[in-house]
Amino acid sequence: MSQTIISIDNVRKSYGHFEVLKGISLDVPRGQVVALLGPSGSGKSTLLRCINHLETINAGKIHVNGELIGYEERGHRLHQLPDKQIARQRRAIGMVFQSFNLFRHMTVLDNVMSGPLQVLRQNRGEARTKALELLGLVGLSDKADSYPSQLSGGQQQRVAIARTLAMEPKVLLLDEPTSALDPELSKEVISTIRGLADLGYTMMIATHEMSIASSFCDRAVFMADGHVVEDRPAAEFFAAPREARTRQFLDHYADSAH
Amino acid sequence: MMTAAQSHFAPEPVQEVVHRRNWGAWLLSFLCLGLILAVLRAGIEARILDPELFVQYLFSEQILIGARNALVLGSLAMVLACGVGLVVALMRVSGNPIMASIAAIYVYFFRGTPMLIQLLFWFNAVPIMFGEISIPLPFTDIMLLQAPTTQMVTPFVAALIGLSLAEAGYMSEIIRTGIQAVDQGQQAAARALGMTRAQVMRRVVIPQAARIILPAGGNQYIMMLKSTSLASAIGYLELLRIATDIYSSNFLVVELLTVAAVWYLVMTAFATGIQTMLEKTFPLR
Repeated sequence: MSQTIISIDNVRKSYGHFEVLKGISLDVPRGQVVALLGPSGSGKSTLLRCINHLETINAGKIHVNGELIGYEERGHRLHQLPDKQIARQRRAIGMVFQSFNLFRHMTVLDNVMSGPLQVLRQNRGEARTKALELLGLVGLSDKADSYPSQLSGGQQQRVAIARTLAMEPKVLLLDEPTSALDPELSKEVISTIRGLADLGYTMMIATHEMSIASSFCDRAVFMADGHVVEDRPAAEFFAAPREARTRQFLDHYADSAH
Repeated sequence: MMTAAQSHFAPEPVQEVVHRRNWGAWLLSFLCLGLILAVLRAGIEARILDPELFVQYLFSEQILIGARNALVLGSLAMVLACGVGLVVALMRVSGNPIMASIAAIYVYFFRGTPMLIQLLFWFNAVPIMFGEISIPLPFTDIMLLQAPTTQMVTPFVAALIGLSLAEAGYMSEIIRTGIQAVDQGQQAAARALGMTRAQVMRRVVIPQAARIILPAGGNQYIMMLKSTSLASAIGYLELLRIATDIYSSNFLVVELLTVAAVWYLVMTAFATGIQTMLEKTFPLR
């Protein structure tokens, strides 16, 4: 558990004059499941998108598996890497999106095979066997030949998870994976994610779903206004939040649950 | 007892439901039919067209050659226009200000001037601008191609260049909107998987954009097939040019114009058929 796999060091990110991330530092050891909590606009999604360099950063450093992401140090400066090298770095970093983002012109099977075929250049037979195995894992073996538009939101999200796993990533970033789903469909996606936690995946999950955060996450990180406000083991975090800002946030959820 | 059971199952008297009829639309449609019949009758009574001569010219060799030339010219020009249009569209969305401006200016010029002027320009100006076309084999003195431009730029070549560059102006805008209609989320997902920008374009954006632009593209193909008639102005022997050449010697103006129109309709049906087939083979997902 002690080996750090994601290391975020004083990361800052601005859109124009608006600073979204105001110096975030976090180390995630291998195998840990981290819940990123916080109100909308607190910077959770932006932080995840910086980790796989879908967003550039203005200051700080992000290492995944010991490799500096998106930049190269030359002297006192960080130079952005060429597109090809960033693409190569992203292979090890899986990402699941709020809006699923399946390729709508491909079948479920082709979606899951797209990474191994296009990026890893595996042969079709090998990729197909792996893809079918992963569809079994997320419980959608019978949907291999369907198109995304024929699936429910929950099924689409499970396909998206299988598509990400097909790249055999070292870490998984989940950006509000259940926010676009109704409570019933959320449940099936949550149980899939819980399965990944049991398999030992390192995960960072930005979420508004307290049942994810409280039931199987090891650690809770509460963000507000671009800062990390509280960062503690999940059990302690929910039992006795320390900061007033955190309590206020959790109270809001307690109220809305009734 | 019987009566109770019977009354329970006895059918209620069914009330007839009367929906509104749109009498206005029916009235108008009969008016339209009457108008169409009147026009047809006027044409037939005035004997504007000799049916025997019409059929004779419809399948005459010269006319068939003209129709074939129009179809070949229009189809080739459309293929080239899609290629050039794609490049211009990619320049437009590249994010580089100079490339985007060049693309915008291209579209402005080629959409903003009449196709006829462009055809005449390519036919007349290019041979003056470049007296001789020569393509040397790189790093040697051997010439792969060397010829006076007037010899190279035949009416066909000038028409092909003119039509395809003009059409590319329209196609690039159609392709650009198609590319922009593919949602950003899928592109983010593809990049997160580790695809390069080029792979994202080729595997995710362009296949979906192609399907989105198909109806508009089919429309442009039909327009293009008819625009080949402009090539008559620079002496290319396409359908309309051949028809006018024939009627200027025998004065069968209506017969020959009708013959040409029928073949344009056949080509349009062909283009529509291709479009429908592609739309069914690749349904929108």
